[in-house]
This record gives sequence, structure tokens and C-alpha cells, in this order.
Amino acid sequence: MARRGKSSRLTLGIITALLLILAAFIGSRLFVTTTSEPFRTISSLDVRTYLENANSLRGNVYKIEGEVMNSLGWSPTQGRLIAVGVENGSEVVPVLVTTNFNHINIQKGQRFIFLLEVDNKGILRTKDMTKS
Amino acid sequence: MKRGLVILLATAALAVAQGDVSSEFQNAPQQPARNPPQPAPPQPAPAQPTGGGTPAKSGAQSGSNAGGSSFLGKDVPFFDPGSNIVTWDGKSWNISNNAIFEARFEKYLNAPPAVTSPETEYQAVLQHIMEKLSPGRITPRSTDEAFQLLAKASRYQEDANLCDSIANQVYSAWLSRKNNDRLNAAGKTLEDERKRLEWNARLTAEGNKLESSGSSGKSKEGAANDEQRQQQQLSREMQMQPILTRLAEITALIRANQLKRKVAELQVKIEFQSLIVQHFLQRRFQHALIGTRFYRSIFADGDSQLRVGEDAKNLFAKTSGLPPTMGTIDSLANEIMRDVREGVQAFKFLLEKNELQSATKRLAESFMIGEYLPAVRTLDRVDKRRALSFVQKSNQLISAIEVKDFALAEKLVAELNETAKDFDVSKPMAAIETAKQISAMHIAKARNAAVSGDKETLEAELKAATEIWPRNPALTEVSKMIFSQADVQSRALVDFDQLLSQKNYRQILDDKMRFIAATAMYPEKQGQLRKVLEDMQVIETSIIQAQEIEKRGDYAGAWESAEKAFRNFPDDNKLNQVRANLTTKAADFVHAIRQAEELEQKEQPGSSLSWYLKAQSEYPSSEFARQGVNRLTKQILPDAS
Repeated sequence: MARRGKSSRLTLGIITALLLILAAFIGSRLFVTTTSEPFRTISSLDVRTYLENANSLRGNVYKIEGEVMNSLGWSPTQGRLIAVGVENGSEVVPVLVTTNFNHINIQKGQRFIFLLEVDNKGILRTKDMTKS
Repeated sequence: MKRGLVILLATAALAVAQGDVSSEFQNAPQQPARNPPQPAPPQPAPAQPTGGGTPAKSGAQSGSNAGGSSFLGKDVPFFDPGSNIVTWDGKSWNISNNAIFEARFEKYLNAPPAVTSPETEYQAVLQHIMEKLSPGRITPRSTDEAFQLLAKASRYQEDANLCDSIANQVYSAWLSRKNNDRLNAAGKTLEDERKRLEWNARLTAEGNKLESSGSSGKSKEGAANDEQRQQQQLSREMQMQPILTRLAEITALIRANQLKRKVAELQVKIEFQSLIVQHFLQRRFQHALIGTRFYRSIFADGDSQLRVGEDAKNLFAKTSGLPPTMGTIDSLANEIMRDVREGVQAFKFLLEKNELQSATKRLAESFMIGEYLPAVRTLDRVDKRRALSFVQKSNQLISAIEVKDFALAEKLVAELNETAKDFDVSKPMAAIETAKQISAMHIAKARNAAVSGDKETLEAELKAATEIWPRNPALTEVSKMIFSQADVQSRALVDFDQLLSQKNYRQILDDKMRFIAATAMYPEKQGQLRKVLEDMQVIETSIIQAQEIEKRGDYAGAWESAEKAFRNFPDDNKLNQVRANLTTKAADFVHAIRQAEELEQKEQPGSSLSWYLKAQSEYPSSEFARQGVNRLTKQILPDAS
């Protein structure tokens, strides 16, 4: 009876220890994440609104995070136009990566966080970008 | 030859009846008016400047010269018995087939028979006159009785006062004869006077001789008495001279009266002969016979030579080959009357045999010659009506062939062939069949031309067929067919234009055979139809393609195939229906494409490109999406490579 009670306590202790370790890990990860997001003060782009009327968003700056779906075109003067899948790929928006970011390799399947400005033609022009 | 003369005379008589005769013949009866017979004066009449026979000749010549044409035109009429053609004065015609003869003949055929009481009595009077003047029975008394009957005959309407003319002429002749008797009496008186003067002259001459012989013995006293004898001789010669002068005068008077008598008689003869010839040419042969018999009874001197104009004499002389005399006229008139009687008998016989063609010909010949003879006038009306029916149908047949109504002509030929056993169908049927065959050939060519659309040949062949047989029933059928075709064609063309304006190309496709046929002769419309059918081919191909893609479950691809065709042919209902069905099945893709296009039009390339990209993600093979993406990329990055 005593041996059974001793064993139970040991198990409980182990579990508790594991939980604490797990909680510490998750907490550290969460901390790192929240403290490392570069444009956390910038609002995300409302894709629905953009699809309906991009002109209404002209001049605004938004951030989006998405996966590179395709490269649509490249201009030596203006940069690269890419298709970025957002909202888990349910929507695709075109993003113009300006020549300022020529040093960044952009390939299909890569995920990026874009800081974007809606220009006068409703084009999402990249102000900043970083891999997510 | 005699029959030819008869027909010729009858023809001339017809011309006389028509008033075509001018010159001497019409002038001849007027001569009595210019030179009426006058009673012989007791004193010697002035001598006529011309001898016997000369007045008629000179009159004929003067008439011919003055009128510019002779009695029967510029030449003697010529009759060709083979063709029944008479040539006269430069003109030719068929004696039994001309309007005047046909009209007179039909009038005769419709007229009742001349068997009424007055007509019978009239014929009896004429017969009585001829009997009284017949050569075996003629006496001065019978001549007087016949003369009195002339007045009775002239009272009948049928006579037309011809007997009156004969009576007047006979009376004139008698007056002339009476004047001649007076001249004869005067001549006898002059002859007595001449004889008396001759006697006196002879006595005077003989007294002179006696006195000469009585004084010749006394030689001594001879010388003394020479002077006395010379004085006596002179005295006797002076007595003789008036006697001789008077004798010469009397002799001259006798000669003058003889000459005057001869001239007067000749003049009366000429007048009488002219009247007889006129009756003969008028086909009043009974009157001509009466005239000749009166003539012979009045002028019994044996001189029966015709002294009418040269042309009239030639009419008898050149056709009969005999010298023209009163006997010639008499025998010809009798011969003609006999010929007419035989002609009428032949008509009746042929009618009984139902040989109407020959019967009608015989009757026409008899009528043409002996229109006024009793044998012709008394013919039964029922018989004449049968001939009339044949004549009318024959004339109708001739008219039908002349106006090229061969259907009617064929019908008439059949009827005539049925009613007249001897009707010769070969000539009319040959003409009818020939015309029908030629017309049928032209119509067949016209049909072919109509089928091949050769309007020029069609018109030419129809015109030729119409000219040959204007009332050809086949021509009407062909015309109806062509007009019907034209009607169908024009209606089809109207429908085509209407459907074209409505852009109802599917209806045009459904009825394409009709429109292909209708537009065959219109190149412009043919081009429009070709375009429509080609477009419809594209639409049909698109529909089939869309349906095939749909079967694979690729609704977006099927819709895109239908949409591409729809954008070119938005009015096709069937395509619309297919497209509508597919729109519901590929709603997300269709929505993305439409949104993209709408925003592209609103110049929102960012939003538009987003929709195109979304559509492309839905249907990666979408051509619309690919084109839209490329287009907008080029717009955003004009210098993109």
C-alpha cells in the first residue's frame, strides 16, 4: 500500500515536471514570436475589400503574409510582379516587388511578409518585405 | 375552158356588183342619153362623120384613154383552175375564199328558199316570155305578147326592174326601126323624083338628037341654020342643066339617108348588145336570153356580131376561142344555166352521201355562177343550213389556223371529220402537228433554261413558243410553273432578308436548302448566306466542343468554349442555352472572370488582376484568365520582358 502511494507521487511529479518544461518552451516560443514580428503595428490588408474596389484603398499601407504562387513579370525599372496567395491560398493578390528588393531571391512556394502601399492604380507596391 | 370562162365571167360580175367596173361598160348605157334615137326628119339629115362600127370602137378607145384604164383593168383576167386563183389587174385572190364571196354565200345559205307565191309567179312569167320568144314559136304577135309580159315581170321585186330595161331597149329599137321606115319612105320619094328627073333629062337629050337629024339634009341652008342650031342647042342645054343639078342633089340625098339609116340602126344595136352583155355579166342569164331573143326578132337581118368594146369582146373571144356574137352569149347563158342545175343536183346527191366538203364546193360554185337562177334560189333551207354549218366550221378552222389557235383547230378538224366523210384532214392536221411539235421543242428548251437559271434563253424560247402557238396550254403550264418558282424564290428571299436582319442565323441554318436554292441567282445574297452558314458552323462546333468538355466534368473549360463562341454570336439561342447551363456549373470561375473583366473595364488593374489570378487558380488552363493576366501585367509593367 505504501509502495503504491510512493509510485503515484513519483509519476505525478514527473508529469508535472514535463508540463512545466512544456509550458516554459511554449512561453519562450510565444515570446520570441511576438517580439520578432517586424510589422506588428501595421494592419493587415482586407483582401475582400481590395478585390471589390482597390481604388478605395489607394495611399494606404498594409501588410500581408503569403506564399509566392507565381512570377507574373519582371521589369528592370519597376521590379517584379508576383502572385501571392493569402488566407491559406484561398485568395491571390498581385504584388509588385520594386527594384529595392532585387537582392532578395523570390521563388515559388516561399512565404513572405510584405509591407505594401496601394498606389494610385490600386497596385500593391512593396515597401518592405521579409521572409516569414 | 367553158367552165373557166363561166367562173371568169362570174368573177367579173362580182367585181361589177362591187362597183369596180369603170370606163366603157358603164359608159355604154349612157350613150342613148347622149345620142337619143330621133325620128327621121323628112329632110335629109346631116351625114354622120363615122361609118358602121366605128362609134363603138371610138367610144371604147375614148373611154379607155380618158379613164386611164380599160373595162377590166389593164389586162384580161386570168383564172387558174388548178388553184382557183384569179389574177386581174395585178392582183390575185382565191375566188371561193375571199371576204365578199364568203359573206354573200353565208347570206344565201341563211336565206329562205325562193318558193313564195310572187317568186314562183315571177319565174313563171320569165319562162313564159322565153317560151314566146323561143326560135320555133316566135311570131310578131308572140313578140308583142312577150313585150307586154316584160312589164308584168318587172313589177316583181326579184326582177330589180331588169325586164323594164329590156322593154325600154326593145321599144327604142322599134322606134329606130320605125324611123328607118320613114327614111325608107323618104328615100322612095327621092328615088321617084330621081327617076322623073332622069326621064326628063333623057327626053330632053333625045329631042335635041331628033332636031339635029331633021336638019342635016338641007345643005344649002345648013350654013344659015348653024347659028340657029347652036342657039337651040344652047337653049336645050340650058333646059338640061337644072335637071342634071337636081338629079345630083337627089342622088346625094338618097345616099345620105341610106347612111343615116345604117348609123341609127347600128347605134340601137350597140345599145341593145351592151344591155345584154351587162345582164350576162351580172349573171342574170335569163334576162340575157330574153334580150338575145328580142334582139334577133327585131334585127332579123342576120347581123349578130357583137359591137361592144374591145375588152368586152376579148372577154368572150379569147376565152371561148369563138367570134363574139349574140349566139355566143345565148349559148353560153344556156350552158351556164344547165351547169348550175347540174351543180345543184350534185350538191343534193353529195349531201345525201354525207360528203359535205364536196357538196359545199359544188354549191359554192353553182351559187357563184348562178346566184339568181331558180335552181339555186329555190334550194331547201335545211340542206343549205347543213352546208352553212360546214362552211362556218371550215371558215372557223381557217381563222383558227391563221391566228395559230391549234387546239381549237384540232377540235374543229375532228368535228369536220365526223360530220363530213370526205373532209381532207391531212393539210390542217399537218399544219397543226408541225406547229405543236415545234412549240413543244421550244417549251422543253425553256424548261431547261428555267431550271438552269438561264433567263436569256428562257425568254427567247418562250417567245418562240408563243409566236408559233400563242394559246398552247403547255405554255400556260410552263408560265405558271416559272411564276410559281419565282414566287417561292421571292418569298424565300424575303424570309432570308428578314431572318438576316433579326440575326436569326439558326433559322437560316435550319432552312438552308430553301435559301441556297433561292439565292442561286443572286451572288450578293449568296455571299451573305455563305457567311451565315460558316458562322453557324463555328457555333455548332463550339456547342459540340463545350458539350464534350462538359462530359469530362470540366465545366469551366466547357463554359469558356461556349463563352468564346457567344462573344462572337450572342444572338444564337441554342448557344445561349448551353452557356447558361454551364454558367451555373462553373459559377466560381465564371464569377471570377466576370469580376476581373468588369474591374478591368473600370481601370482597376490591381483588383482585376487579382480576380484573373483567382480564376486561373480555379481553372489553370483558362485562356480568358491567362490572356487577362498577360494583358494586365503588360499594363502594369509596360517594359516587362
